[in-house]
Amino acid sequence: MATEAIGLPFEASSLSAWLVWILPFAAALIMPGVGKISKNATGYVAVGFALMSALSAASLLPMALEGHEIHKQIMWIEAIGLKGGVLADPLSVIMANVVGWISFLIMIYSTGYMKGDKDITRFWFWMMFFIGSMQLIVLSDNLLQVFFGWEGVGLASYALISFWYRDKKKDHVGVEGRTVLGMLDYYAPTHAGMKAFIMTKVGDVMMIAGMLLIFLFAGTFGFKELMHETEWATTMAAQGLLVPAFVLLFGGAIGKSAQFPLNEWLLEAMTGPTAVSALIHAATMVKAGVFLVARIGPLVFALAAAGIMADQFFEIVAWVGAITALLLATQGMVNNEIKKVLAYSTGSQIGYMMMALGVAGLSHQYVDGYTAGFFHLISHAMFKASLFMAAGSLLHIVGSRFMSDMGGLRKHMKKTYAFMWAAGLGLMGAPFITTGFWSKDAIFAAVYTSGNEWALPLYVIAVLTAVITAFYTTRMIGLVFFGKKSKHIEKMEEEGHHIHEASLSMWVPYGILAVLTIGIGLIGLSTEEGLHHLFTEYLEHSFGIYTEHVSSEASILPEFLQGLNPVALGSSLVAFATGIGLGYIFYIGRWVDPVKFVNSNIFFYSIHKVILNRWYLNAIIYWCFVVAPLWLARGVFRYFEKTAIDYGMNAGVQKAVGWSARVIQGTQSGVSQSYLFVFGAGLLFVVLILLI
Amino acid sequence: MEYALLQAVFLPLLLSPVAYIIGRKVGPTPAMWFTFAILLYTTILVINAALSGTVEEHYPWTEQFGEFGFLLDGLASPFAIIIYVLSTILALYSKPYMIHKFHEQFEEEQKIVHSGTGQTSIVESSSLSNYVNAKSGLYFALYLVFAMGMLGTVLATNLIEFYIFFEVMLIPGFFLVALWGDGPRRKIGLMFLFWTHAGAVVLLLGFLMIGLTLGSFDFADIKESEIPADIAMYSAVAISIGLGVKLAVFLFHVWLPYVHGSAPTPISALLSPAMIGIGAYGIFRLIVEFLPLTFAELSIWFHIWGLVTMIYGGAMALMQDDLKRLLAYSSISQMGYLLFGIGSMSVLGLSGAEMMYITHGIGKGILFMMAGVVIVKVGTRSISKLGGLAGKMPITATCAVIGALTIMGVPPTSGFMGEWILFYGALETAIEEGSTLRAVTFGLGLVATVLTMSYMLWMLKRVFFGKTPEHLENVKEGSWYMTAPMMVLAGFSIVVGIYPDIFLKTIIPYMNGVLGV
Repeated sequence: MATEAIGLPFEASSLSAWLVWILPFAAALIMPGVGKISKNATGYVAVGFALMSALSAASLLPMALEGHEIHKQIMWIEAIGLKGGVLADPLSVIMANVVGWISFLIMIYSTGYMKGDKDITRFWFWMMFFIGSMQLIVLSDNLLQVFFGWEGVGLASYALISFWYRDKKKDHVGVEGRTVLGMLDYYAPTHAGMKAFIMTKVGDVMMIAGMLLIFLFAGTFGFKELMHETEWATTMAAQGLLVPAFVLLFGGAIGKSAQFPLNEWLLEAMTGPTAVSALIHAATMVKAGVFLVARIGPLVFALAAAGIMADQFFEIVAWVGAITALLLATQGMVNNEIKKVLAYSTGSQIGYMMMALGVAGLSHQYVDGYTAGFFHLISHAMFKASLFMAAGSLLHIVGSRFMSDMGGLRKHMKKTYAFMWAAGLGLMGAPFITTGFWSKDAIFAAVYTSGNEWALPLYVIAVLTAVITAFYTTRMIGLVFFGKKSKHIEKMEEEGHHIHEASLSMWVPYGILAVLTIGIGLIGLSTEEGLHHLFTEYLEHSFGIYTEHVSSEASILPEFLQGLNPVALGSSLVAFATGIGLGYIFYIGRWVDPVKFVNSNIFFYSIHKVILNRWYLNAIIYWCFVVAPLWLARGVFRYFEKTAIDYGMNAGVQKAVGWSARVIQGTQSGVSQSYLFVFGAGLLFVVLILLI
Repeated sequence: MEYALLQAVFLPLLLSPVAYIIGRKVGPTPAMWFTFAILLYTTILVINAALSGTVEEHYPWTEQFGEFGFLLDGLASPFAIIIYVLSTILALYSKPYMIHKFHEQFEEEQKIVHSGTGQTSIVESSSLSNYVNAKSGLYFALYLVFAMGMLGTVLATNLIEFYIFFEVMLIPGFFLVALWGDGPRRKIGLMFLFWTHAGAVVLLLGFLMIGLTLGSFDFADIKESEIPADIAMYSAVAISIGLGVKLAVFLFHVWLPYVHGSAPTPISALLSPAMIGIGAYGIFRLIVEFLPLTFAELSIWFHIWGLVTMIYGGAMALMQDDLKRLLAYSSISQMGYLLFGIGSMSVLGLSGAEMMYITHGIGKGILFMMAGVVIVKVGTRSISKLGGLAGKMPITATCAVIGALTIMGVPPTSGFMGEWILFYGALETAIEEGSTLRAVTFGLGLVATVLTMSYMLWMLKRVFFGKTPEHLENVKEGSWYMTAPMMVLAGFSIVVGIYPDIFLKTIIPYMNGVLGV
């Protein structure tokens, strides 16, 4: 297929669509060589290539914002007739820009954060590999190529989570010696990396099964081709395989985006350097799952419009998202490690996005939920990257991952303090001024107005999660910046360490993102409307999903808020106020001691314990999928392989061997001449046979 | 090129005495380069022939057996290329490893001599270098014959010829294990000889059934003629069992962990990736191609047998502490994938199985070489005594990770290209036949990939990552002879992973032809 640039001669831009993902890979390839020449140069090379990749993505933006797309294919596996290619449509171009620019900022931050690490070359190699893989997912035009990127991010996360592979004590996560149901809740980096890789692989296995099912019926992996001819879907639906195939695909997203029940790897992923955590949580990896759902969701919905029902798919997506959102948000309230709080928060926010993308398919106005989910992805990428990088600075300066070792830092790290508030307000959804507010409000509205049987329970979960989110964010900021200095800090100061602001290359990146969170937040409503408009056209053009233009009746809201759903807006405001209020009482004003409060009655105490033990989910998974299989394998090895096979089946052989050993003993003289004689005789024998 | 395949097969055999003499008179390094040169030349011959499409050569032989020929077609060429590429680069790798081994054995024998009753023996009077020279001459001579036996098997065009080569690769294999293995090497060597020989006899039985019924052993004749269904079934079962022993599938795998664990590492790296997979080649050629109707009946059994082997091998690999035994069980599991793919009975499933042979050859080759580096440089192969080696031997660690990814089937390594095609084939047949059993085996097969990943990552973690034990503080990276072959294979894995057409272009047309699509 030739270039499908509509109206514009975009031959040049198709090159930049390729470059977006090829450049980071190229950087990764040359990295070992650069590292040999000069270790200092590696950082510049990485930042430079990340910038070039982001600029390539930006160069596609004007085209995409006008609703055009580039689709360019080349022959890949000729033997099976598979093509590879890039598909730069509005969805992928916006995503590529989010990934590209946030990665670029994280790379700048990393130059400060990783300064002086002796394995810096390896770090940059994997970071670039990570970005390249993510951009490959975003810009691929077919599922098989997506899978390359998909496993690429898995691999890079494995390598980066266990980056400090020497398993020093300070790189662990969890509390030493703490156990849940007999399972240790304390993880070394190498263990954590392995856990992440295997757990996401479980999702990947499902995804590949789904991909292969679709390929079997459609004969193609290409997104455009799948949409072009929907005969395959009818056949699959007739056999009852359509929904299973899509749900299996979604299984991949569950694994990669750390959704329930494959969410547990995300916590241990905190063993990696913080720059890695920021990359995983804001721009790459976990967002891949959301992107995949955004990629295939319209396809499924368009099929439904064509009479092929796949509602269960959307129901599953919405519920998995909702359960994850609540489950992980609750755990964010009790943890003492700052990065873990942020990690729980990520999983929970991704749950929001999934919920939005799910309810979108259950409503008539697909674009509402779709835009809401994707808008939340963008705003989350900004404030979460900012929060993680800020948390990295704290770790760097304080030298401890526990919030109980911080406290009272607001006077010493003014900039970090301010930026963390700004980004934190984004996460909480502070009304009218942050991107988080607008995107979360859009999700609320989408859920509320979706008009299906699950709307109400999902809505309640969404609002409850928002309360909890505002609470744990306030708690985090309160514990770190307010109150008295911890003993740890006092000790550090006694030893002559000066608590100071992070270096320039570190605070600037998260400063920019924090400012953007507020900046875009101020024009949030029009941003959202722009996005809504763009996606309406995109869905109509690419998938034939038409949106009814409902002329919104004048509501009771003031002029500048016209178009918002009053119920959603109201609950959003209440949720924010409740969450931040409770947080203020416990952690900033410190009027009530939270420890005493929890221990005050058995009800709170037991809830706290269950949540602190991660709802026992992690321990159960370990018992069922690690301990039990190992026990079984050990049993089989001991009683079957070592007895039945070795001494049962092999017994006859042993005897025969013993017998022949006596015969051959003569040749085992250890003298090479005699071996040579045997060898020569054998050779002669072979030659004779050949000559007969 | 005239006689290209004849040269490729017989040159190593004919020149093996020369390698012996060079080793004996001059030393291990020239012998190694001589072996390398022969194998490089013959590898180029094979690749060159493969590039020009299907190549057939026929030479007159006896009246009873038929013609003596070589056939390099879409099925044989990937096997042939992998066998010779591995043999060639492992010749380089052999030198440092075997010298290390000879030194060890020399010391051992010295000790025995000294603690003896003052006997003067040849060993005592000869110096270490003489000892090494003699042994390395013998080693490289056997090595050449071993390589040639494997190639001959996959190129044979006659049942008896196939059988002869099948046995030829066994004899040097036995000597290599019995002379320079670890542990109770003679016992294990005999075990190897016995099991594979017993398998070969059953195989021969199947061959004779076909040959005597038809009155010809030539592949060409067998392909053309109709074999009575019952004879075909009996012989197919006999052939499957005979080749099953070589493949070391579940229940016939007894010998493999011992032999691969004990064999000198370069030989393990040839045995495991190159040799045992020849069993799969045999099933392709003899059953899938020649007995298609019988194959259709048997395929579901291959499928299930393969699945059981995949899971069993993987589960046993989890329990190993000996690095090489772990890899040996992993090989069993991987052979299960091959059989699983063969059982899928669809074009892509069969192609996937052959791709798995290629990727297993590459991946397991790297991993066994890694084990060898660890054995030479650290002096132990017990995983529990290892740890944190990534910092000490970065090249080996990187290559090992790529090798492990190849076995796990993670893109962009070649493993993924084998795996998805393989599983696609399994799914295709399951859906087309509407068979629940096949759908379940497909699902369990995917679960087995998670198991594969688990034991591989766990092995990597315990060997290369984590805290470095104190006794490993002074470990150094292996020499270039050892790391360069690994790097070549690692690069090859990624090239094939991104551009699988290199092999698929020849495999898929062949499989299409065989299944009559």
